[in-house]
This record gives sequence, C-alpha cells and structure tokens, in this order.
Amino acid sequence: MAADFRRLVEDTRVMTRRSFLAIAGWVGFMVASAVALFQSVKFIQPNATYEDPPAFKADPPDAYPVGSTTVIIDKRVVINRDPDGFYAISLICTHLGCTPRYFPDVTSDLVESGAQISKDPDTGQEATKANPALPGFKCPCHGSRYFRDADNFYGPAPRPMDRVHIEKAKDGKLLIDRSVVVDHKFRLKV
Amino acid sequence: MRVIRAAFDEMYAVLAQMTSSLFRHGLPLTDKIAARTALTNFVLHIHPVRVRRSWIRMSYTLCLGGLSFFLFIVLTVTGLFLMFYYVPSIQHAYQDMRDLQFVVTFGGFIRNMHRWAAHAMVITVWLHMARVFLTGAYKKPREFNWGIGTLLLLITLLLSFTGYLLPWDQLSIWAVTVGTNMAKYAPIGGPYTRYLMLGGRAVGDATLLRFYVMHVVGLPLIGFLFMVVHFWRVRKDGFSGGL
Repeated sequence: MAADFRRLVEDTRVMTRRSFLAIAGWVGFMVASAVALFQSVKFIQPNATYEDPPAFKADPPDAYPVGSTTVIIDKRVVINRDPDGFYAISLICTHLGCTPRYFPDVTSDLVESGAQISKDPDTGQEATKANPALPGFKCPCHGSRYFRDADNFYGPAPRPMDRVHIEKAKDGKLLIDRSVVVDHKFRLKV
Repeated sequence: MRVIRAAFDEMYAVLAQMTSSLFRHGLPLTDKIAARTALTNFVLHIHPVRVRRSWIRMSYTLCLGGLSFFLFIVLTVTGLFLMFYYVPSIQHAYQDMRDLQFVVTFGGFIRNMHRWAAHAMVITVWLHMARVFLTGAYKKPREFNWGIGTLLLLITLLLSFTGYLLPWDQLSIWAVTVGTNMAKYAPIGGPYTRYLMLGGRAVGDATLLRFYVMHVVGLPLIGFLFMVVHFWRVRKDGFSGGL
C-alpha cells in the first residue's frame, strides 16, 4: 500500500486528476479531524472553574495560641503556631488526595504494636515506649500518617503534605494562599 | 346484508394482510420455515440460520457474553427510570438518591437493580474475558474481536467508575478523588488529564456533571457501537467452540 502511494505521488503519469483530488481530499479530512480533536479537548478544559478561590482569610494571629494546631476543614488547611512563628499546611494527603484528620495521638498504637516509627526529620521528635503519644494526622482512605508538622511517617504517603503561603493581611487577619507552596522551614513571625 | 358482508370481508382482508406482514412464515414447523424465519426476522437475524449442537454447549460459553449484554439492557432501562428523579448537581444529587430509595414508589427497587446489575456486569465481563482467554477463543481469526472486547471491558469499567460518583456521598466523592489522583500519576499529561476529568482542581459540581454526562450518554453510546461491531464479528468469525 505504501508502495502504491509512493507510485501515485512520484510518477506524474500516474498522478491523474482523480488521484490528486483523492489525496487532497484525504489530507483535508485528516487536518480537519486533527483540528476537531484539538478543539474537543480544548472545549472540555474549563477556562473558569468557579471553585473556592485558593486564597482566603482566617482569624487574626491572636486567636491562635502558641503551640496550637487549628484545622480549617472547609478549606482543607491547618494553621500551626509554634514559638518561632506560623505556618500553614495544605491538608491533602500526598498519596491520593483525601483529607487526613487531626488526632492528639497518632503514634502510640504503632509504638505498642512494636512498629518502627522514624523520627520527625524537622523537629527531631520521636515516639518511644516512654513517650508514645505524638499529635498528628491520619488519612482515612489508606492509613497514611503525618506528624503535626506534616512530615509523613507511616503508610503509603510518599512525601510530607505541602506547606502553603501564610501572611498577615492589611486588616490584621491571617491570609493563606493554598496555591503557593512554600519551603518546609517557612515561618511567619508576628 | 350484502353490504355488511362485503364490509366484513374487507375487514378480514385487512386483518389477514396485517397478520401476514407481521408473521411472514407461519409457525416454524419445518427446518426450512425455521431457517427462513431466522433469516428475515430482525430480532432473530443475530442468530446464525444453522448451528451445530456442539457450538452452543452451555458449559463452553457459560452464556457470559450474553449475560453481560442482558445486564447492559437492564442497566439501560433502570438507568432511564432513575434519570426521571435524579438531578446531577451537588445541591440535589444526594437528596434525589435518598428520595429514590425512600420516597419514590419502587424507587429503591429500581436503584438496587441498577446497582446490583452494575456490579454483576463488571463480574460477567471479566469472566467472559477469562473464558475467551482460557478456551483460546482470542486466537486467529478472532484477534480483532478480542481487541474490541478489551475496549468494551474498558468502557464497562469507566461506566462503573463514573456511576460511582453519582450518589454523591462520602464514599463516592473520596473514591473519585482517589481515582482521579491515580490518573495524575500517569507519566505523560497526568495532572492535565485529572484537570479535564474533574473540570477543576477538586471534585465538585463540574465533576459531577461531567461524570453524569459520560455515564448516561457518552460511554453507553460508544459502548453500544462497539457492541454492535463485537456481535457482528462473532457471526462473521464463527463460533470457536466444539469444532
């Protein structure tokens, strides 16, 4: 078939008006189909989504005591306040995107069963037999667990949850932008 | 009297014509009439005019392909009924599903039929595929139909997946969150595929509408077209069993 096609194209004696028009027609059809496919994909790609905007305002900094963990479940965000400042966590499991839930103790059942739990690489905290209970998050879908600072330590989660941008807005409230991922050492000092 | 009789004869002739146009060949009392009936009847034309007894041994096919198609018909009909009460928006979907279960007469029955037939169809399609594989029925000259069959399997699974979101309960929302996140792991265009599936960044109103449209129109239509080709090829390639 390829040989036939080459003969059609190369041999001008064979290239009749009819075969020229057939080739032109097929090329036109292919191009139109490709354009239609492109258009179809572009059509179902929404340009405006009308979703909840990624940036939102929380309470003023005073509302969060030092050492507190606040889950804003509607926004799927956690605001942690440590002695060295604020940081926000995007509460989306890095495994397959469910919403982990906060528990004051996510480690002691593992310590009791004898499972090895790694140290928190950021804080150096470790759940031991003497001190088995550490706060953190558990994902209901496949059981991933995270320390309070979003570092994963158990289950299928491949990496820590994203820390997202947090700043103090002009009106004094905390402003969180979920679309901006920041370094895990980021802290907002107030 | 004569007039009445003429009218009666006329009526009889009309009725006779109608009957003979509906039942063209009379009762299939001989093989010849039976063959002619199968050839000219639309419903029966899917059957070969002649089959060997050994070709249609039930223990060979276990009727799995036919069962899959039967369940597809059940799902189409029950799905049509469900559409009368179901609105694909996040304000209504869950409530409509509950209404179907508890308020609509026979609603729970229809919904359960749809749900169980859906589970059953996934199972029968898989088993059908396993049967075709184990009996070697995918081999030449039936490779093309095996290819069509794998597409039909894919469409069945996609129908199952899209239908799973529609009740809009916690299970469906997070199952689709997980499913679309799996699509995100694809090496090429993963996040873009997820965006197209969701119509946004998270499972929401746009996702529900998309999944609904694909579930009730898009995928069944594609599936039906492939089924037509699938059945036609079964006839053209012939039965694989009992040769």
